[in-house]
Amino acid sequence: MTIGLFSGSIDKLTAAGVILGGAAADDMDVEVYVLMQGARAFMKGVAGDTGKLEMAENPKLKEEFLASLKKLNVKPWLEFFREAKELANVKIYVCGLAGKIWGGETLDDFVDLVDDIVGIGECITSMQEADVSLFI
Amino acid sequence: MDQEELKSLKVDKTVDARATACPGPLMAAKKAVRDLQSGQLMEVLSSDPATKRDVPKWAEKKGHEYLGTVEESGFFRIYMKVK
Repeated sequence: MTIGLFSGSIDKLTAAGVILGGAAADDMDVEVYVLMQGARAFMKGVAGDTGKLEMAENPKLKEEFLASLKKLNVKPWLEFFREAKELANVKIYVCGLAGKIWGGETLDDFVDLVDDIVGIGECITSMQEADVSLFI
Repeated sequence: MDQEELKSLKVDKTVDARATACPGPLMAAKKAVRDLQSGQLMEVLSSDPATKRDVPKWAEKKGHEYLGTVEESGFFRIYMKVK
């Protein structure tokens, strides 16, 4: 499976994490290509800070959304990605252009879950070869 | 297997995922099954109703034998034999 992860919003990142968790439990090989707003979300100093991530839909309900996740014991979005990497062959690649937009030039600018910084050609090839491609 | 037979099973591993929401029980089951040998029994405890369908489907897809589910007060016990 290949995921083009454009979104950097906390609701869509959580959805991506849930899907990724399910795929990892199913032993799927997954490549996540982090694009545009998504690249910001994976930067150190942003990834773990819900105050720096907005909601894609119903932004006024952000606090309610976060409180509900907490009440339901749902992991923070980044933990889904971390656990999925532990369970299965999951790779996370940041688009080089997207990284530069937010000042992320090297791997060290991103959380340790990111495997590499790549160009769009690699993302396209992965999508062509994948059984399932998602764009979030 | 009927409910009494399921309840009398001596499992080799219990995965208590009652504190987690979907896909937590599935991920916990996947993690736990690595430690078991073929033929051993595992039960997954979950309070998430979606798990009643999710875990048996996952088990069968992975080749494990789904043995049945017992409903307790506020949670489920899902039994399987590891492939």
